[in-house]
Formats: sequence, C-alpha cells, structure tokens
Amino acid sequence: MGNELIQMKDICKSFPGVRAVDNVSYGVRAGEVHALVGENGAGKSTLMKILSGVYTKDSGSIILNNEEVNITNVRDAQALGIVMIHQELNLMNHLTVAENIFFGREAKKKSRIILDSKRQEEETVQMYARLNLDVDPRAKVGRLTVAQRQLVEIVKALTYDSKILIMDEPTASLTSGEVEDLFRVVRALKEDGRAIVYISHKLEELKLISDRITVMRDGQFVATLNTEEASLDAIIQMMVGREVFETKQSPFEDTGAELALKVENLNAGRMVQDVSFHVRRGEILGFAGLVGAGRTETARAIFAGDGYTSGDIYVGGKKVTIKGPRDAIRAGIAYLPEDRRELGLALGMTVDENIPMASMSKFSSFGFIQFAKSAANSEKQRGVLDIRTPSIRQKVKFLSGGNQQKVVLAKWLTRNCDVIIFDEPTKGIDIGAKNEIYKLLNELAEQGKAIIMISSELPEILRVSHRVLVMCEGRITGELVGDEIDQNRIMNFAVKRNHAAGGQVG
Amino acid sequence: MKRNVLVFVLVVALLTGLVAVPVMANDEKPYIAMIALGYGHQFWQAVRMGAEQAAEEFGVRITFEGPEDETMVDRQVDMLKTALANKPQAIAMAAIDTESVAGILQEAKAEGIVVVGFDAGVGDAESDAKVSTDSVEAGRLAAENAARLLNNEGKIGIIGHSQTTIDAVQRVIGFQEKIAEFPGIQIVDIQYGEGDHLRSAEIAKTMTLAHADIDLIYTSNEGSCVGAYIGLREVGKIRDIMLVGFDSSAAMKDGIRTGEIVGAITQDPVGMGYKTVEAAVKLLNGEQVDSFIDTGCYWYDASNMDADHIAPLLYD
Amino acid sequence: MTQTKTLGKRLTGTEFSHKLIIIAVLVLLVVFFYIMNPNYLSYGNIMTILLATCVNGMLALGVSFVIFTGGIDISVGAVMTFSSVMSGVALTRWGFPLPAAILFGILVGGFCGAVSGIGVTKMFLPPFIATMAMQMITKGLSLVVSNMRPIYFTSEPVYQRIATGSFLGISGFHNAIVILIAVTIIAYILFSKTLIGRYSLAIGSNEEAARLSGVNVDRWKIGIYALGGLFAGVGGLIMSSRLGSAQPQLGVGYELEAIAAAVIGGSSLSGGEGSIPGTIIGALIISSLTNGLRIMSVPTELQSAFVGIVLAFAVYFDQMRKKR
Repeated sequence: MGNELIQMKDICKSFPGVRAVDNVSYGVRAGEVHALVGENGAGKSTLMKILSGVYTKDSGSIILNNEEVNITNVRDAQALGIVMIHQELNLMNHLTVAENIFFGREAKKKSRIILDSKRQEEETVQMYARLNLDVDPRAKVGRLTVAQRQLVEIVKALTYDSKILIMDEPTASLTSGEVEDLFRVVRALKEDGRAIVYISHKLEELKLISDRITVMRDGQFVATLNTEEASLDAIIQMMVGREVFETKQSPFEDTGAELALKVENLNAGRMVQDVSFHVRRGEILGFAGLVGAGRTETARAIFAGDGYTSGDIYVGGKKVTIKGPRDAIRAGIAYLPEDRRELGLALGMTVDENIPMASMSKFSSFGFIQFAKSAANSEKQRGVLDIRTPSIRQKVKFLSGGNQQKVVLAKWLTRNCDVIIFDEPTKGIDIGAKNEIYKLLNELAEQGKAIIMISSELPEILRVSHRVLVMCEGRITGELVGDEIDQNRIMNFAVKRNHAAGGQVG
Repeated sequence: MKRNVLVFVLVVALLTGLVAVPVMANDEKPYIAMIALGYGHQFWQAVRMGAEQAAEEFGVRITFEGPEDETMVDRQVDMLKTALANKPQAIAMAAIDTESVAGILQEAKAEGIVVVGFDAGVGDAESDAKVSTDSVEAGRLAAENAARLLNNEGKIGIIGHSQTTIDAVQRVIGFQEKIAEFPGIQIVDIQYGEGDHLRSAEIAKTMTLAHADIDLIYTSNEGSCVGAYIGLREVGKIRDIMLVGFDSSAAMKDGIRTGEIVGAITQDPVGMGYKTVEAAVKLLNGEQVDSFIDTGCYWYDASNMDADHIAPLLYD
Repeated sequence: MTQTKTLGKRLTGTEFSHKLIIIAVLVLLVVFFYIMNPNYLSYGNIMTILLATCVNGMLALGVSFVIFTGGIDISVGAVMTFSSVMSGVALTRWGFPLPAAILFGILVGGFCGAVSGIGVTKMFLPPFIATMAMQMITKGLSLVVSNMRPIYFTSEPVYQRIATGSFLGISGFHNAIVILIAVTIIAYILFSKTLIGRYSLAIGSNEEAARLSGVNVDRWKIGIYALGGLFAGVGGLIMSSRLGSAQPQLGVGYELEAIAAAVIGGSSLSGGEGSIPGTIIGALIISSLTNGLRIMSVPTELQSAFVGIVLAFAVYFDQMRKKR
C-alpha cells in the first residue's frame, strides 16, 4: 500500500476539565478502510470532528497529499474533500432524497432562478447506480429507514467529490441485513479509491470491513494494527488497557424480598409488546439490548404513560394507574433519562433549584419556598453523593456529566422513591466517574431500593446487574440470572428477531 | 306520491322566497361601500350616522367599515378589495395611505364605479369628488383664535396625532402658516403622540418642563387634546397653560365648559357622512358635483358651545 | 467576528452581571439627560417618569412571568383595555359598587390570561398564536361592549383618585406610583420566594424535565398566563383611572413596549432567564429615555428609533456575556 492520503500528527484538543485528544497521530490511505476503536469517551469522535472541521485542534498538524492544510470549519473540510457522516444524521425530513443531496447547491435552469428538479433527480439516480443501488429520488427522507437515510448522507458526500469519508458508528441502528448492504457500499467506495475512516465499537464488524485498526484509550493513541494480524482479544485488551477480567456482580440473595415493581403484559406501540417483568427491593435489574430495542420506551411507558395501551403495573403489590409522571412519582417510581441534559435537568438553574424539583411540596408551605430547608437537603445530598460543585448555588450547566447525573439522582433520592429506573446512567461520563456511579447503584440497592438499569454497554450490564433482561424489537427475548449472564448469551437474545425466532437461528 | 311532489314544490318555493326576497331587495337599491380611516372612534361613528341618514333619504344601501387602528394600511387595502368584490356602484373612502389604494381605485373607476373621497380622502386622480373638512383651513382657524387668546404674543407647543395622515398633517401646517403671520408668537416644540391619550399626556408634561415659559398648547385631535388635558392637570398647570383642542368628546366638553380647555375646532362629521352619500348618489344619477365639497369647521368654547349651530356638531 | 467578540468581552467582563449593566445604562441615561437639561432631575419630572412607567411597568411585570416560561403574551395591551372597559361597564351599567367593579375588571384580565393559558396547554396553540387570538378577541369585545364610545367615570370622583390622588399626602407622589411599587414588590416575592417563580423558570429552562419531575406543567402555565392577565387588569385600572375613562380603542402597541422592557431587563425570549428587578429597570429605562428625548425636543420619529437601539444593544451585550 502506498502513502497515506491524509495524516493527522500530534493532535491535541482539550475541553474544560478534560483532555479529549492527547497527542494522537492517525492517517488513512486511499482505497483503505481504517477503523478507529476505543471505549466511549476514548476520543475517537473528537479526533474525527477535528478532521471534519466541527472542532478546531489546540495543536498538531493535518497533512493532505503531503501538504499541510488548515481546517477551521466544516466548509474548509468539505472543500478539501473531507466529509463526516454523523451519528445524528443531518438531513431534512420534509425534503426529498434528491433535494437533500443537492441542498445548498441546487441545480438551476438556464435562467439561474428556477430550480431544475429533474436534473437533480436524474443525477441522484446516477449516483446511486454507481453504488449498484436503486433509489426513488422523490421519496421524502422522513419516510426512509435509518439505513436508507445513511445512504443519502453517503451519496451526498460523494457529490462533493469527497476523497475522505468519516463514518461514525454507521451500523449503530441497522439490522444485520442492512449492515450487509452498507458494507457492499463501503467496499464499492474503497474500490473507487476513497479513504474511509470507520469509527465503531462493534469489533466483529471490523474484521469484515477494515484494513487497519487504530485503538485509542482515554484520549491517547494506543496502537495501529493490520486487521489480518489482529485478534479480537488483543484489541479488547488494548481498548480497556488491562486484562479483561469481567467483574461480576455477586448474585442477588433472593430471600423473598418484597416485589417492588411488577409489570404485566405492558403494551405501548410497536416498541413495547407484551412486556412482563418484576424487580425486588435490593435488586439491580439490567435491561440489555441494541439501540432501539424498546427499552427506553418501556421505561417511559411505565413512568410517563407514553404510548400506553394496555397492561398492569403493580408497585409494592398495589396496582397503580399511570397517566403521567406525576402518577408514577406518587407511586414511588423515579426515572433518570438517558438524555439528562435535555430531559432531566433545568441546566440554567442551580444545583439547589434542581435537587428539590420533584418534591417541592416538601420544601414549601402555602406556595412559599422554604429556602433553608431546601439548602440543607441539597447540602446533605451533595455530601452523600459526593457531588463536586463549588457551591449548591452553581448552575448545573457548569458541572461535569458525572456530577450532573448525581444531581438528577439527588432529585429522586430527595423524593425518596423506591423504584429507580436508570436509562444509560453512564452515557457521556468519563471512566472514573462511571465507577462512582456503579458504587452508588450498589449502595442504593443495599439500602433496599429496586434498581432498573437500561444500558447498551455490555461490560456495565455484566458488572452491575443481579439479573438481566434482554429486549429486541419491543419484546423481552431472554432473562439471565447469576452465572448465566455473559456477553454471548446477551448478544444472542439481543438479535433474536421475531421472524427469526421460529427456526433458523444460526 | 302526489303529496310528496306537492310538499317538495312548496319547500322549494318557500326556500327560493326566503332567499330571493333579500337578494331582490339588495339588487334594487344602488350600493355604496364606505371605508373610513378608523372605526372605533366616535368621529367615525358620527360620520356613519350621517351617512345612514342620507342612505335612508336617498334610498341607497351602504356599508360602513374601517380598520380598528388608523395605521393599519394593509387592513384597509384588504377591506377595499373585499368591498369591490361585492360589486358596489360607488366607493367612498378615507385612505390611510393614498398611494397604496391608488391603483385599485383607478381600476374600479375604469369599470365605471364612482369614487368619492371623504375626510382624508383619496388621491386627486382617483376621486370624482372629495367631501371633507378643509384641514388647512381648520388649522388656520385654530391659529387665529390662539393668536387672539395670546394677544398676539407668546410661545406655543403643538401635540399632533400623526405624521402620515394628510388631514392630521394639514391641521398642523395650517396652524403653522397662520401663526407665522404673528411675529410675536413662536412655536417652540412639536411632538406626536399617535392620538393615544396616555402618550399625549406624557408629552404635555415633558413639554411644560422643557419649555417652562410655554403659554399655549395646540392639539390636533381628540386623543391628543384629552391626553394633554390630563397631563396638564397632573402637573397642576392646566390653569397656567391654555389648551386648544380639536374635535369633541364628553371629556373635552367638560374641560371646555370649565374653561380648562380654552376652545377647540369642531368639524361636522354628521354632515360629512351625509354629504358624502349625497355626492355619490348625485354622481350615480349623472349629475355634476363640485370636485371639493367643504363640510366646514367651527371654533367653539365655553361661550358658544350650547348655541344652536354648534351643539349638534359636538358629540360625547 | 473575533473583533466584536473581544469588544463584547471587554465591555461585559467576568464579574458583570446583566443587572449591573442595565443599572449602568439607566444611570448613564439619567446623567446624560441631566447634563442636557437640569430640570430632568427635578422632583416633578422624576414623578412624571415614575408615573409614565406605571402602565408599561405593570404590563411588563405580568408578561415577564410568561416570558420566563419560554412563552410570550402579546395580548396584554388589549386585555388591559378590555378589563378597564369591563370594570367601567360593571360600574356604570350594572351598578356594581366601586370596589367590586375594580375587582371585577382585574379578574376579567386574569380570566383572559387563563383562557390564553388553556389555549397554550390544552389546545396546543403556540403562545404567540394563542395570545394573538386573545388580543384580537379582547380588542373586538372592548369595542362591542362599549358601543365604541369611551366609558366615563366622571360620576365616581374616587375612581380618578385611585391613580392620581396621593394618599401619602405628598404632592406629585401619585397613588399609581405607590401601586406600581407595591405590585413590583408582590411580583418580586412571587418570583423569588414562591413556587410560581421557581416553576416558571424551570418550565422555561426545560419543560420536559419539569414534567418528568412531576410538576403539573399545564396547571402552572395556565396560572402564569392568568397572573399576566391580572397584572394587565391592574394596568387597566391605573390607565382608566388616570384618564377618567375607559377608552376602548386604546392599548395598541403597549404589549410590545412591555415585552421590550422585559427583554431589556434580561429576560430571554427562549425562557428560563430573567428577573423582576431587571424587568422594572427595563421599564424605567424606556420611560426615562422617552421622557428625556421629549425634553430635548427630539422629533417623535427619532425617539422610537432610540428605544430600538437601546433594546438591540441591551440584548447584544447580554448575548456577548453569555457567549463567554
């Protein structure tokens, strides 16, 4: 193989409180798929956002075709032929495929005023044909599947004549059939001589699609390997930085503890079908599955009545009707959403204003807020949970992810809920803080709370759960207890699609 | 079967009768659409009263509308378009902005619709006749009386209500022109309060502060006058500064009766409404009318406000 | 771009809070106008400025709470007029005793606000649309109910004294000013000491988080819009008392001036930010500025331009402060 088409040398980037990328070098050759792997927060996405102009580097250099280039914004990157296909796709749902692809560079008729939709559509079809794909250029993007939308993004990138494509977790929400299709497209791009950066933590996939693999850990470069020579175990070891010994939760002593929450035949739209389960006081129940398996929807149906159509919910043995969060909270259920910044916190308000938010009746009389009482409680929670903030009067938006999560937790501990549902509790939280959150989960369970933890990170599930439920396509497909809990079994259940369940599971 | 047919025929007859009677009634009378500058203000309601009186006398049908606010140019244009869609024989209009309706009115005229301007009127090119108070003349009349009250010497402030409506501007221009003939009298400040009582009150108050030696304040409509009246009362200067007003209302009449407002100009809105419809009817009948019909204006104060020729022109 | 950024940084600094900035603006304005005309700071003119702040200040206080929630209320001007007309009707036509008529008028304001709130929460209307509808409805009803004529309170001399009398016995210190101060204090207490303030900011900051915390967002929102209406009702009382009449066609454009006061005072139209002291200072800035420009005999058309410039810069500095 020849020289690298693009090289990033000694790149550094810091965010307040974090060294996201620390002196990392990385490069891709033309006609190569170079995978970038690492745990969440290892700095892969940040590194690629620097390359694609979303962030500017603090130091280091970027060399394209043996010439140093300066990338300060997305436009610069595009002009150099570098395009990133983001996890959150940047398409306009109300426009058609062709309109999206040519957005901002619309084809015009001779008058230069009237848009030439026909030409756009024809060119769209041609672009797809080059990848051996069919397309309806007039389909509205909002109606397409995630996989089809991803193709739109890829084709759009090709129309910029992009030489370097960065794909960030492209298979995160694809079915296995769709993944195959995507790989075909990626191989076609490769043959076309384009350089592809492939970020993923689905290691099995990398074996199939990549030529080289670079591992990052905690913002630092670890190693670059040829895929043929790399073993999965070795890669995992490099990612984690230690022998992979899976700390497992000690099994739950089922001494007939009280059933804290029982759900029977819960239905809420396509994503929650006939879900039944229970969790006991002192137990940590893990909810595993792929993204989009219906776990968050199940939690929201229980907590907020979202989409609820049928099913029974019992809290502490008593049947409850839940139409909205207020009913759930009254019954003693708490929910810590995955997207805590969007759903869990009033970011512009202080720690002391967020913590009592769910229990203002405790901290007010006749509508007047009892500030001293509220502050005393906030200080107490700050101590108990070790919330690191200069003062409880600090605005929540200035806290780190881990401490924000603790504020949300403090809100529910203040309310003294018996059942606590954590949705991806450590998402976007750095490794040190993760351990603290795990410790807290254990402590809460020991105090007799029933914990439900939704997580897409298997190590986390393995480490924390007493018992694991696996969901796939809106159904619970498996239950694992104690020694049965392992990565392979979970993955098996997680891909146990309804139609395949009948027979031909491989 | 036969009975069914009978019932059907009866029902149809009844329905056509119900519908036909008003339609026929409408068709018989010529229709004049009137569009005023505003609607809520009493002045327009008085114009409307006069117009309705004339409509009854001459046997025509009129509609009378206007935007809630005397700045809503768009709204007024829409009203004009809607009115034209109803195929009137004549349009009578007081345009907020003569330019923005000129084109539409020219088209209407080309289709043979009679166009009469009233009050602020419409552009000269578009109108067959204009029925209005001569606002410049009204301003001059106010100035004459102001000069008389000041004994040809003193300082004057003006509170206007609009810088865009023709008649509002003319009331101020006429006043300034006439005052210029008196070398001993000076106009020291002109401010505009949109005819809003509160704003005009604040303006009057600051005027007395900025020009402590001001002798007289001239206001160009009812809102400005009542506002200034309230403002001057709040700073306790109503007896020190002469206030001259325009138009009338219950509040103004009270002020004039006690002498706190020294006098005001009144137009003849009822007459304006009447003469507008009259002119339109004459034009429809092919008669000649003057291109400008002045409906007159009068000075009134405590001494003559109950006189026979003034009292009917004042409204509450 | 970088230049404007550093300019903003230098001017706003780390320690500067928005409140300090606008207090500085107010002081600068006052000093400037005082130099131009020493009469500006005479007792009489200070009272004039305060009195001129009353109606707008009252509306701005009410609309502030709505803005804190991330909403907007463009009906406050029309609702103010409507409540004064209704209290006039109650007094002169239905023979209500004076206190009952006043209370009725204010409650009408609160009712209108509550209806807007119901439109926003239960009918899912965007706040702009719900309150625009309310603006049009109350504007129309004011004209219909009053037969398009002013309703005079001349038979009730006490009514006029509500705003322009002085129960403190200090000449020039009108009751309206006392009422404004009292209402400001009440608004401040509601804002900083009670759940209304806490929840209005929380809803504006993150409505879904508030809902998921078990806050009855709909009920609070309706209450907050109703509160805005009540303030508009009090504004209507002061205005009609000063005028000695309820003027059904008045109130046009008052809502925008009220919103401007809240925004100058540091409220963010996207919600979750702002304060009552800020709003009242914002209202004072507008009335001091207009008063000063009038005293300098600046032409009317330029006065409005100056207020616009102050508004733009107040928000600009705030944006720069936040960008840091």
